Amino acid sequence: MKDLFGYAGRKFILYLQDLSSLVYLFRETLQQSLVLLRDGKKLREAGILKQVDEIGTQSLPLVLSVSALLGIAITVLISFQLKDMGALSYIPGFVAVAVFREIGPLITAMIVAGRVGAAFTARIGTMKVSEEILALETMAINPVRFLVVQRFVALLLALPALTLAANFTSLLGSFVFSSTRLGIRADTYVREMLDVLAFKDIYSGVAKAAVFAVLIVMIGCYRGLVVEGGAEDVGRATMISVVSCTLAIILFDTVMTTAFYG
Amino acid sequence: MIVIEDLRKNYGDRKVLDGVSFAMERRKITHILGTSGGGKSTLLKVMIGALKPDAGRIRYGDMEITNLQGRQLDPYRKKIGMLFQHGALINSLTVAENVGLPIREHTGLDDNIVKIMVKMKLEMVGLRDFEELYPAQLSGGMQKRVALARALALDPELVYFDEPTSGLDPIVASVITKLIADLNRLLGITCIVVTHAVEEAMRIADKIVILYRGKVLAQGTPGEIRESSDPLVQQFITGNPDGPISFRASSKDYREDLLIG
Repeated sequence: MKDLFGYAGRKFILYLQDLSSLVYLFRETLQQSLVLLRDGKKLREAGILKQVDEIGTQSLPLVLSVSALLGIAITVLISFQLKDMGALSYIPGFVAVAVFREIGPLITAMIVAGRVGAAFTARIGTMKVSEEILALETMAINPVRFLVVQRFVALLLALPALTLAANFTSLLGSFVFSSTRLGIRADTYVREMLDVLAFKDIYSGVAKAAVFAVLIVMIGCYRGLVVEGGAEDVGRATMISVVSCTLAIILFDTVMTTAFYG
Repeated sequence: MIVIEDLRKNYGDRKVLDGVSFAMERRKITHILGTSGGGKSTLLKVMIGALKPDAGRIRYGDMEITNLQGRQLDPYRKKIGMLFQHGALINSLTVAENVGLPIREHTGLDDNIVKIMVKMKLEMVGLRDFEELYPAQLSGGMQKRVALARALALDPELVYFDEPTSGLDPIVASVITKLIADLNRLLGITCIVVTHAVEEAMRIADKIVILYRGKVLAQGTPGEIRESSDPLVQQFITGNPDGPISFRASSKDYREDLLIG
């Protein structure tokens, strides 16, 4: 019993240490981002567009195919009940609200956490292990500015955009399925959807995406920066990074949904 | 002068640095020798400000390095260069970008001037034709030479070398050794070399410091070290497997360990 408390206590202290280091990293990233945004030459050298391409554009095929399929799946699920009640015309509104408020931002963030957050950890962790980060420090180059800032800015631009693209693709999936298999007329679908969908649904989703972007970059980069040891430790850090990102995203998603609509 | 005073560092119970004190002169080559696990790497990390010692201090000119933290170290770090054991080149950047990195970061120089400077630094290490390659496309020896070009990019006063010749073929090793000597004789750069290559140290060092079990075992010119009557020193420089330095690192009694196990 005593051992159990000791173990839990130690874990809790480690967790608090990680949390305070994460907050410190976030503050440093914000500061360094401001410095970078003011310096035109360094901003061009930072290659933010290349990062946006790497983490945004290249995630697009995966994100869009998953969202289209999910749009169809949700439509199938709810049509099953609504058909019996003769209330198929509720489908567009329901799908639009579910996708924009919840499913779009959440699924996109999950995919990006697995694809991009893991890559951040593995990449930075490998640099740590091969002393590249120490080399940067020895050259008086701030590793946060050199490695974290452009990823931060890039994902902050890319994730909300990806989320919006995912939302519209889900709707498209639902729209195509509804009009071909459920016999909902195209104009009815669009009218019903626009009737229900409010501007708040759209911006709350985008706000979520921005928060998720911060979580993915901070956790992904932090886990990489604290790697010690060798290849095995990079692997473990990557796994922890994806798990913590997923948990943090779901936690913040619940909090924000409650704050917006609770 | 770089003065190290009573430096101590423990990892758990293990005393890695146990009261190390010595001084190194500017514009000279100092070799820090020692057995594996003798505290060389830890000492180097403390000297570049990457590790805080438990006690003691290091002074470089009017700066006390052991007191500086984070960005306070930047003025010192802009004056030094460091050649890492495995080069530690940034893998995502080309050779030219790697060498140009400190120049771009710390000077506002025009891109064309940076390119010329990079060419000059690469010429020094004989690798001007390899600008567009990535580190992974180079051999270990070439990576080390590129890393040396990068360490020299900002014309440092002081360069640290971590095992500069380990893992290299004899010719490349001599090239690097000669480069170190030239840097010092021609450009007046202070060179501090952490190594266990005794022959190389005897050839070019102005001063040799031998670390053993976290303490300074001996220091002096190569001549003085060679003449030393200390059996430990003699065993170390001749590389004799039999002598007071045991290759066994375990502290437990062997027989006891076997019986209990």
